[in-house]
Amino acid sequence: MISEGKRLLAAVTSLAALSIALSGCGSSGASKSSSESESSKSDEKVQITYLHRLPDKPNMTPVNDIVARWNKSHPNIQVKATKFNGKSAEMIKKLETDVKAGNAPDLAQVGYAELPEVYTKSMLEDVSAEASKYKDNFSPGAYKLMGIDGKMFGLPQDTGPLVYFYNKAEFDKLGISVPTSKDELIETAKKAAAQGKYIMSYQPDEAGNMMPGLAGATKPWYTVKNDAWVVDTQTDGSKQVADVYQQLLDAKAAPTNPRWDPSFDASLKNGQLIGTVGSAWEAPLIVDTMGDTGKGEWRVAQLGDWFGNSGKSSPDGGSGVAVLKGSKHPEQAMEFLNWFNTQVKDLTSQGLVLAATTEEAKTPESWSSFFGDQDLMKEFATANKNMGDFTYMPGFSSVAAAMTETAAKAATGQAKVADIFSQAQTTSVATLKDYGLAVAK
Amino acid sequence: MSIFHSKAGSTQELPRSMRPSHLAKIITVAVLIITLIYFLFPIYWAVIASTKSPSQLIGSNGIWFASSLKDLPDAIATNYSKLLGWTHARFWQWVANSLIYSGVSAVIGTIVSVMAGYGTAKFNFRGKGIAMAVVMASLLMPAALMTIPQYSIFQALHLDNTMLSIIIPCSVSPFGFFLGRVYAQSSVPTELLEAARIDGAGEARIFFTIVLRLLAPAMVTIFLFLFVATWNNFLLPLMMLSSEGLYPVTLGLYGMVSLPTFNDRGALMMGALLGVLPVIILFLCLQRFWQAGLAAGAVKG
Amino acid sequence: MSATRRSSAARPGRAGRSDAVKRAERTGWAFMAPFGILFIVVFIIPIIYAIYSSFFQDVASGGGAYGGGTMVNKFVGLANFRYVVTSAAFWSGIGRVLIYTLIQVPIMIIAALALAMVLDSYMVKHVTPFRLGYFLPYAIPGVVASIIWVFLYNPQISPIVKGLSSIGITVDFFAGKVVLASMANITTWTFTGYNMLIFLAALQAIPHDLYEAARIDGATGLQIALHIKLPNVRGAALLAMLLSIIGTIQLFNEPQVMQTADPGISNSFTPMMMAMNTSRGTLTPKGNGPASAIAIVMALIAGVLAFLYAWIERKVNE
Repeated sequence: MISEGKRLLAAVTSLAALSIALSGCGSSGASKSSSESESSKSDEKVQITYLHRLPDKPNMTPVNDIVARWNKSHPNIQVKATKFNGKSAEMIKKLETDVKAGNAPDLAQVGYAELPEVYTKSMLEDVSAEASKYKDNFSPGAYKLMGIDGKMFGLPQDTGPLVYFYNKAEFDKLGISVPTSKDELIETAKKAAAQGKYIMSYQPDEAGNMMPGLAGATKPWYTVKNDAWVVDTQTDGSKQVADVYQQLLDAKAAPTNPRWDPSFDASLKNGQLIGTVGSAWEAPLIVDTMGDTGKGEWRVAQLGDWFGNSGKSSPDGGSGVAVLKGSKHPEQAMEFLNWFNTQVKDLTSQGLVLAATTEEAKTPESWSSFFGDQDLMKEFATANKNMGDFTYMPGFSSVAAAMTETAAKAATGQAKVADIFSQAQTTSVATLKDYGLAVAK
Repeated sequence: MSIFHSKAGSTQELPRSMRPSHLAKIITVAVLIITLIYFLFPIYWAVIASTKSPSQLIGSNGIWFASSLKDLPDAIATNYSKLLGWTHARFWQWVANSLIYSGVSAVIGTIVSVMAGYGTAKFNFRGKGIAMAVVMASLLMPAALMTIPQYSIFQALHLDNTMLSIIIPCSVSPFGFFLGRVYAQSSVPTELLEAARIDGAGEARIFFTIVLRLLAPAMVTIFLFLFVATWNNFLLPLMMLSSEGLYPVTLGLYGMVSLPTFNDRGALMMGALLGVLPVIILFLCLQRFWQAGLAAGAVKG
Repeated sequence: MSATRRSSAARPGRAGRSDAVKRAERTGWAFMAPFGILFIVVFIIPIIYAIYSSFFQDVASGGGAYGGGTMVNKFVGLANFRYVVTSAAFWSGIGRVLIYTLIQVPIMIIAALALAMVLDSYMVKHVTPFRLGYFLPYAIPGVVASIIWVFLYNPQISPIVKGLSSIGITVDFFAGKVVLASMANITTWTFTGYNMLIFLAALQAIPHDLYEAARIDGATGLQIALHIKLPNVRGAALLAMLLSIIGTIQLFNEPQVMQTADPGISNSFTPMMMAMNTSRGTLTPKGNGPASAIAIVMALIAGVLAFLYAWIERKVNE
């Protein structure tokens, strides 16, 4: 039975080899030689990797095609783009592991709301010097969202200003128009509801994204004073938002279908829901959902002064691309990124409302025909310029999750809409403390 | 006799006492059919849905096609091209990858499970009790949460983003080991092993010529179990793989679902149904063996 | 176990015996080795890592409002475990999966058993279409199955809800008390056929002469089912039950997908959801530590339950 003995021996040796290999497991990427990153001679060929979550749906210009164009004209900066096929939280988790192991991609898509979190988790490379070269190519509000602590970590890609989508034909039929004030909004909503139509929707699953936006248009929730966080999620704006939605819910003047449940699409499609606040990037989705129903009847308007926001909008979603820690060629990565994020026509085809200001985005034909030949991109650009000043705190995803949960309770009457904001306060403070960050009283 | 012994028609042979009454029979068949509808209706719905556009899916009758039968091929073609678009025309490549991952890891997993099961069932060795206790205890650990540490390990071994990074983790199953052991205990007679040893056969030869043959049905069971488990896994590939050429089909489908803006549910249903086809074919081919295998383990288990 | 003992005891003589023991030792390990090595890489090391990490938390360390962009993994002793066992969300999650286990698992196993017995009796002529039909859902990936059912639960879209309401029955599959049952239905739909096949196989393995004997004794079909068939599939049923219990404790896909339709399903609805969402940072930013602690506590609870189940089963047997 020599063979068995040999096999056992082999097993032991391979185990030993394995454990040696594994001992390197916990070490961070710090050991990587940093000398390489200094050399950026133009004749040197570099490889940039880029991880994104863009939809890449049929009829869109695929990211790989855009990148291929860059690669053709830039033989020395070759870019490899990869689509991550999971949720953003899963992507951050993967990147976190990659950064620790020292082999993260150079560039990765990061939502504005996630940037503080990713920064606190020490996953970002400071590229302030490079970013400032490209500053003028992007809308100032979005540009600012890619920076923290006075440092810049990448460039903005798309924005999600909140706007109002409505079916003008239905509005005309009911003899109503887009309300301009809070009282008018509630009154109009009730009037429409009496006819079985809704001009506003209460979306519990979007509460964590949309409500901070709506409330934050008035005054930011999170500010930093002497290196400590000042958290106030129950601002005047929050109270107004809570009041409006509570009144709408009480009067049964707003449906409570979750935004990403098919029932929401159904309420649009069957003509019940004729107006809703939404992010600019929802435009192509609404077109897709409706098919030919209501084609040409819909319009986009700026948010009215409904929440004490004096007509200001604010961001819901939207993301930039950040340079990750350990990137060996941040300079070249930024050069590519600036080019990529200003490929207005191609990125618009991905359903994005761009942060780039280098050229005016054309409204795609399918959008404008649905929205009665309106120039949506112009409307969105206006909203973009009109954005309030909102910053996120690290760990905002847990705040958003807690808000969503309370919002669902408010939809069924187990809680008040105002509770969403008090919940946000508690969770924000707890999360910051969990991080070990200072919170001002 | 032989012809009547098959299930159908054998009622005639039964004595009066065992012959079910007409009424009981009708009721039974009715219940079975209602149950069948319960199991098949959602799949039927998915088939119908796979021909619909997002707008038709919410706007039309759920239990019938939204397009006329004449336009149906077009509707199917539209969703099929959407599916190919979503998956960057790699859909069938991903199905092929899935077949490789599931097939290879199930083969390796089956062999190592049966070996280990046989080893623990038929031999005494120091540490066996502890080894078995550890393996059984690991059944209790939620496997999905192992993904992150597994990813770290494979990264350290520079094996991430390779086919091995899927195949290796998927070829280890405590459940497979457990089944292998149960089968080896119940269907490998020790006397047979003794006889072979007296004839001078080596342990390796005994295993590969005698034991594996005895365990064939058991192996089909473990094989199918591992195959389906690997086929449906998307968390592991999500972490391990970054090259599109290596994706399995479930990761492709998950990529559609995970976008907040996703609404092409019809195309998703088509992808799910087409992606499941190879598994169903496999089951149909192997079900005879499989049942025999299950029975061997189940009775004594 | 008895077989093993016999094999080593079979060789007489002291010297020969110890040789045989050594030989059995070597051979046993050799057979175990390939699985063992893979198992160490895929399970043991990650589990050790999980246990190790459960004593740590991520904490921002660089100072400033954002922690200066540096984060350290700090040893916190048993703090993560304290967090888990004092968390009301965790225990209500455990409560939910326990209710689920107590109701869904028996229903599924009994349904599977009943279907298998009927298909095995002579009541139906053509068994194959039923067998395949019942089994088909198992081939549908869990996430997709949940998406299909969410659609079928949806009041605005579902042909089922619409059909029922047209005959005067209104159901809300997402109502607070009903949502757990709606979830259980998805699990039942997916796994009943699989369990049925296992039972069917066990039934078909029962030696035919047992029936013959009963027939001669004048037993009715029902009597045969109860007194011969049922005892013979007990082993299979107990195994299926045990695996279902372990599976249910780890309930994840169904609630996660149903959350899109019902945001009232929280991120910690089940312990497994809580673990995953903790690990992804949507519940607390403390990193893998608390997630590992949840997994470990969950595994312990599952272990206790499995042990209890096996113990009760043995007691009842005696």
